[in-house]
Amino acid sequence: MKKVVEGSHAVSEAVRLCRVQVISAYPITPQTHIVELLSEFCSDGSLNAKFLRVESEHSAMAALIGAASAGVRTFTATSSQGLALMHELLHWASGARLPIVMAEVNRALAPGWNIWTDQTDSLAQRDTGWIQLYCEDAQEALDTTIQAFRLAETVFLPVMVVLDAFFLSHTYEPVDIPDQADVDRFLPPFKPAFSLDTAHPAAFNQLSPPNVYMEMRRDLQDAMEAAPEVLEHIEGQFQSLFGRRYGALEAVQCDDAEIILVTSGTITSTCRLLVEKLRAQGEKVGLLKMRLFRPFPYEMLKRRVLRARKLAVVDRNFSFGACGIFAQEIRAALCNEPKRPLVFGYVAGLGGRDVTTDILEEIYWTTKTTAHPESESVWVGLQQPAPAA
Amino acid sequence: MTHAFVSQVSTPFIPRSTTTTESNKTGSWRFLQPRYDEKTAPCSAACPAGEDIARVEMLVAQGLFKEAWETILQENPFPGVCGRVCFHPCESVCNRGAFDEPIAIHTLERFVADTAMRYGLQPQRMALPPKSERCAVVGAGPSGLAAAYFLARLGYGCDVFEARSEPGGLLRWGIPPYRLPVPVLQWELEHLQALGVNIRCNHKITGGFLHGLKDRYAAVFLGCGHYKSPALGIAGEDLSGVEEGLPFLERVRSGDLPSLSGTVAVIGGGNTAVDVSRCALRLGAKVLMVYRRRRQDMPAFGHEIQMAVDEGVELMELWAPLSIEAHPDGFRLSLQKMEVVSEEGGRARVKPVPGETTAIVVQKIFKALGNTAEEPWLEPPGEIAPHILHLADTVVSRREDGLVVVYGGDLAARSKSVAHAIGSGKEAAMALDLYFRRGWDAIVEETARCRVGPGPSLSMEIYTGGDRCRRNPHVVAFEEINTDYFLYGPRIIQPRLLVEERLQGFSEIDLKVSAALAIREAERCFNCGVCNQCDNCRLYCPDVAVCRDTSPQGRHINLDYCKGCGVCVVECPRNAMSLVENETGGRP
Repeated sequence: MKKVVEGSHAVSEAVRLCRVQVISAYPITPQTHIVELLSEFCSDGSLNAKFLRVESEHSAMAALIGAASAGVRTFTATSSQGLALMHELLHWASGARLPIVMAEVNRALAPGWNIWTDQTDSLAQRDTGWIQLYCEDAQEALDTTIQAFRLAETVFLPVMVVLDAFFLSHTYEPVDIPDQADVDRFLPPFKPAFSLDTAHPAAFNQLSPPNVYMEMRRDLQDAMEAAPEVLEHIEGQFQSLFGRRYGALEAVQCDDAEIILVTSGTITSTCRLLVEKLRAQGEKVGLLKMRLFRPFPYEMLKRRVLRARKLAVVDRNFSFGACGIFAQEIRAALCNEPKRPLVFGYVAGLGGRDVTTDILEEIYWTTKTTAHPESESVWVGLQQPAPAA
Repeated sequence: MTHAFVSQVSTPFIPRSTTTTESNKTGSWRFLQPRYDEKTAPCSAACPAGEDIARVEMLVAQGLFKEAWETILQENPFPGVCGRVCFHPCESVCNRGAFDEPIAIHTLERFVADTAMRYGLQPQRMALPPKSERCAVVGAGPSGLAAAYFLARLGYGCDVFEARSEPGGLLRWGIPPYRLPVPVLQWELEHLQALGVNIRCNHKITGGFLHGLKDRYAAVFLGCGHYKSPALGIAGEDLSGVEEGLPFLERVRSGDLPSLSGTVAVIGGGNTAVDVSRCALRLGAKVLMVYRRRRQDMPAFGHEIQMAVDEGVELMELWAPLSIEAHPDGFRLSLQKMEVVSEEGGRARVKPVPGETTAIVVQKIFKALGNTAEEPWLEPPGEIAPHILHLADTVVSRREDGLVVVYGGDLAARSKSVAHAIGSGKEAAMALDLYFRRGWDAIVEETARCRVGPGPSLSMEIYTGGDRCRRNPHVVAFEEINTDYFLYGPRIIQPRLLVEERLQGFSEIDLKVSAALAIREAERCFNCGVCNQCDNCRLYCPDVAVCRDTSPQGRHINLDYCKGCGVCVVECPRNAMSLVENETGGRP
């Protein structure tokens, strides 16, 4: 059924359809609408879940670790400082192989205090062992959330469904909300690999000395490496039920492209318009949308971009002392290829600054007219001089 | 849809034991151990009748009104009376007072009693097997009736001798109906009589009475109260029209309502003076209460003084009567101005201000000074001797002929209040039972064992070996309550007649409260030291070492796995648990 819903609420609807059993959350803008609606679902009985109000995001994740260890389906949502506060428990969730799903609404980190979108918060958690999927619109946010549970419970890894603040979380769009029966067919009840049982007490997550630790880490990495293929399989089933498919990456007109713009999140939608416009002008331009960031889809990426001459990677994030993070990872992915495109890194839209078609077009022409990247990252749209403090 | 797809991911490799961990008895790490350890609530220790208030409020909160009523009856035969006239010292020590406002214990006690009365409940029979000794009780006031009640419950036959036409003593004759309607007293007296207490009215005893008792009774309790008003010692106090306060109250109680007019002076500052003033007001007079000290020095209960002032009684503080003369318009009352010299224990010592006197013309004068025993032989012996025991609220004397005489109520209690009188009757019953069953020497030590907290209030439930025996006498302090588990909430407001409504007659001023409001108020109670089965200990135990069972406690601690972390004790909202060293000292 099509409904006009807010991006946040598309996620809430998906969580309800997935029959989540425990939700634990602490409010933070711009995530709050997701869990607000979920608490209403719990209160009106349309979702039979235990909703835990906790005193911090750290506790929110700790509570879900407990609940997931007991073998139930779990969900939380957070943003920015909240995600940062969860950090140590993110490692715990993945190390304990708990299929927790979290909606993470990208928001800039403070100071300066800023509630608008910026990917640095979620990308700063790239090493925590969580699968990360970046969404472009509300429909994708809903679908990705449903897929996330299936993916998480198949590979026993937690999944972060990442949304842009406001551009996605607070924008109303028509969304096709699936039937419960179809979602039930797609997503069977969670069968834990093991669970806490007071009748059969066992020790969990106890001391793991050097002679086993490394194998455990490798087991986690094996699961990560299996995830892209599992996702592809899951998406096949999803498509047959719901008619939609996104892929780990989406390549738009990349086959003959000389320059490929690489984006993630809502910037992708803007970039689609630009690609259409430039193609109409005869430019050989393509667009690569990065949806799956962890595990990083090395082989798929190579298949899509190795024929191009230049990549223009648009990062709405920054690793201080280095460069934009997507650009950094893409460079690393390609560095051993004998014939590879030049990677131009651009930083744009930090702290929610609008990334318009004009900005993307400027990025395209800069890339086309510059023979070789002059720095790791070019900051686009900086005001000169900087506004007075 | 089938899920034929099998990923490469098999069972994740995580740190997890494959065998049970039950063999690892982590309790061996413990050097402290938690214990269910119910303690004493400050309210119950402050209650002169030793009521188990924390438990009563817990039962009210659960809607178990009959059980709440029976819990009060364990310690006090008069909840309907005390729920109306008690000065409720319990509320001023309530730990909730340090949080927001004390629990309205007084209002809830009355609610419980009224509910029992409304439904005509009968208490479960609590009497022990009959005993051969028979006791006489002199005076059917609160102390005598309480003594008879507790003696009857302990199995003793009792005869109560009452000089007046009906039982109740000060409850019937000294407390006006706007504070205590007679049907309430009557209902509670019926329960007393149902226990087998025999009350003989119109039976005034004399000094010679005691001598003839030995043949029929093994002991006598003297609870005939303080009815004799001392003289003011001033000229004119015997003039016709200058009346004693207590007899006036008695007349009002008997339905003889004289019409008063003009100004009435009431001399005194006790509860009788306040009641006389308020009655006179209702009968049409303008009332001046004349007191030689200050308002805060008056022995009357503060809330009663406040109500009198609200109703229009005028206080004349620091004025002592000098003389009374007849006057064409009534009396001329000369007064001496007093001033405060010093304070002792919060009460002022005063002396006259030289040369400062005044005189007022009033139409009537009531004397309502502190009363004393009617006959000298009713005064308890003051001396210290092996055959005389001075307990908290009684004096027990063993005469040479073997008859034991217990002086109680106003004759011997620490303080003159209904609750103290009830406590005194209880102490007498306990002392006599100990004397008969265990001998004279057991009395002091064994009554000490039955005190609530540090005492001196006594518990009959403890004496008779009830569940309350297990209470630790430690009185729970506010700091020992885990207030994280309580929300701020307003105290119930006792509904009352408006001042204008009160002055139209003698209708009861305090009105009933609904069960819903009573439950909400009782839910505010911390239940200091008393387990209300909240289950926090079990929910918070990180070792799943708190196990439910069918014991009265409802759960026990599995010491095989309890590491003694103390989380259960800290999370107990009401300090009903303790953390103690292992009984064996070191490892268990």
